[in-house]
Amino acid sequence: MSKKLVIDPVTRIEGHGKVTIHLDDDNQVVDAKLHVVEFRGFEKFIQGHPYWEAPMLLQRICGICFVSHHLCGAKALDDIVGVGYSTGTPMLPTPEKMRRLGHYGQQLQSHVTAYFYLIVPEMLFGMDAAPEQRNVLGLVEADPALVKRVVALRKWGQEVIKSVLGKRMHGISSIPGGVNQNLSIEARDRLLNGDEGLISIDDVIEFAQDGLNLFYDFHEKNREQVDTFADVPALNMCLVGEDDNVDYYHGKMRIVDKNKEIVAELDYHDYLEHFSEATEEWSYMKFPFLKALGREAGSVRVGPLARVNVTKSYSDSTPLAKAALERFHDYTKGKANDMTLHTNWARAIEILHSAEQIKVLLNDPELQKEQLVLTYDQSMWTGEGVGVVEAPRGTLLHHYRANEEGNITFANLVVATTQNNTVMNRSVRSVAEDYIGGNAEITEGMMNAIEVSIRAYDPCLSCATHAAGQMPLVVSVLDSKGKLVNEFIR
Amino acid sequence: MNSSVENMAALLADYNNSDSLIYGIGNIGRQDDGLGWAFIDWLEAESICPKAELMRHYQLHLEDADMISYKKQVLFVDASKNPDLEIFQLENIKPKMDFSFTSHAISVESILATCQTCFDYMPKVQFLTIKGYEWELQQGLTIKAKENLEVTTKFFKKKHLLNKTGEDHGKT
Repeated sequence: MSKKLVIDPVTRIEGHGKVTIHLDDDNQVVDAKLHVVEFRGFEKFIQGHPYWEAPMLLQRICGICFVSHHLCGAKALDDIVGVGYSTGTPMLPTPEKMRRLGHYGQQLQSHVTAYFYLIVPEMLFGMDAAPEQRNVLGLVEADPALVKRVVALRKWGQEVIKSVLGKRMHGISSIPGGVNQNLSIEARDRLLNGDEGLISIDDVIEFAQDGLNLFYDFHEKNREQVDTFADVPALNMCLVGEDDNVDYYHGKMRIVDKNKEIVAELDYHDYLEHFSEATEEWSYMKFPFLKALGREAGSVRVGPLARVNVTKSYSDSTPLAKAALERFHDYTKGKANDMTLHTNWARAIEILHSAEQIKVLLNDPELQKEQLVLTYDQSMWTGEGVGVVEAPRGTLLHHYRANEEGNITFANLVVATTQNNTVMNRSVRSVAEDYIGGNAEITEGMMNAIEVSIRAYDPCLSCATHAAGQMPLVVSVLDSKGKLVNEFIR
Repeated sequence: MNSSVENMAALLADYNNSDSLIYGIGNIGRQDDGLGWAFIDWLEAESICPKAELMRHYQLHLEDADMISYKKQVLFVDASKNPDLEIFQLENIKPKMDFSFTSHAISVESILATCQTCFDYMPKVQFLTIKGYEWELQQGLTIKAKENLEVTTKFFKKKHLLNKTGEDHGKT
């Protein structure tokens, strides 16, 4: 009798997910799918609102990567009022650096959450450990000193966000053409030197290195599992600057293949000319792909693993991250790395990279200068804008149009998790075949392996479907006639 | 309301000092999920507990364990979906790891347990929950939730005024 496994909801991801695995009579995997089963419709209800509300309202899609949504919206508004990158106008140095500071602060905080809270417990205790152990609260009991450091890291990241955006969540700093404040000397010094209850930037960098070492230890002890777990192909995409290195705030979209050859490079304002989106009746989440290569060959991976695959190097101003990146590149001898669990390695490198980039910015006196906004007038109005940034989970796009009254008439958001939809499904299929296929008895640890493959992408299904609510994952087992024979719900 | 509420004589007056935190949890864009913040709004409007630190956030985070480690007592206020709850409930919280953590959700009990384990300190923590009914993407409390908030605030105001007599509790 064939079986169907359903993981519904998938746990410790942002959003409500469900995994279905079909087994045949010999318990071999016939099919495996990640479904996204919620829908929100932010793109619809923003219509009719004044254009300047978009970065404030749309950041509320997410409580984790709200700064990315805010900045993406701000870049689109720069275009709309006629002072954006689409018009060839460079942003003033101080506002661009303030936006970058908030962006790197959020990347650090978001990656720390995903890495230490959701992934490290599995690294330390094993993916087949008891569920009550393999989460951050298990970590609290096992290693309170580590958790204390993690809490300090997140708190420091929040202070960066608060210093730039005014609040630790859903604050406002970017306005059309710039930002509404610079960084005060007091805030700068607190972040650099620490304060009562707040660690210093040097502590942050030290803790980030500790986090990377946790991965090295884990990899050393579990090399075969880490290297073979969901080793699945995909193109890799991220924004790059003029130096061919990743630029988290602005640049060209570059897509590379397994040999790191560039297969496409585009101005993100032309995204829709190069990408199409497939739909499936079993998921609300779309499947973007490069039109020129078709759906299967043209699907991209975005996020930490994609970025470290695409980037040639990092700046000399971030020497620790640069050295860590070289070690990462050496591991696959110049080829792109498709090993899904190495996403966690990449994420740990990016925590360190964010910390070092923040240190560079905090020491930049430009952040205290007063020229904060480009001036513009009605004659410059374009009524359309596109913003793209490298959000923690990958490339994020906001596209708006506004009418002459200044009200939004169209909005389209393409989020990182959507870009990763195809490669996440490939990962689920790969792990299902390796861990579940051929086994008569399905264990909790096997089901968790499926979740681990999804969690590596740190997917935000709320962002991807623009949905709100609680965030569970469910797995079920069905026979060849579709009858439920087993189910895991967490 | 539950009977234990009546036995908690201290209530708000004891929170009127800088060592206390009153923390509203919720989202005013999700109808009755805004009850926690609405309670904080009421405290501010009535100038009750002006010396306490008042805070509004969407959800608890693990680093809140660090934050409460600097306080002697903390009152968390949130909306409740509990169908058995009549109007509101006030509980004394004991530390407990409930292993329900996601990056979007963690319980008050787990925050207190983390504070105890990582920071070797345990403030007094109470949790006030007020019954809500609707949670869609819309601003404003439902009529029934507003009524529950009114009953709750009236109860606390009465207790608060009673506690003002005699000692320097909560000058309003």
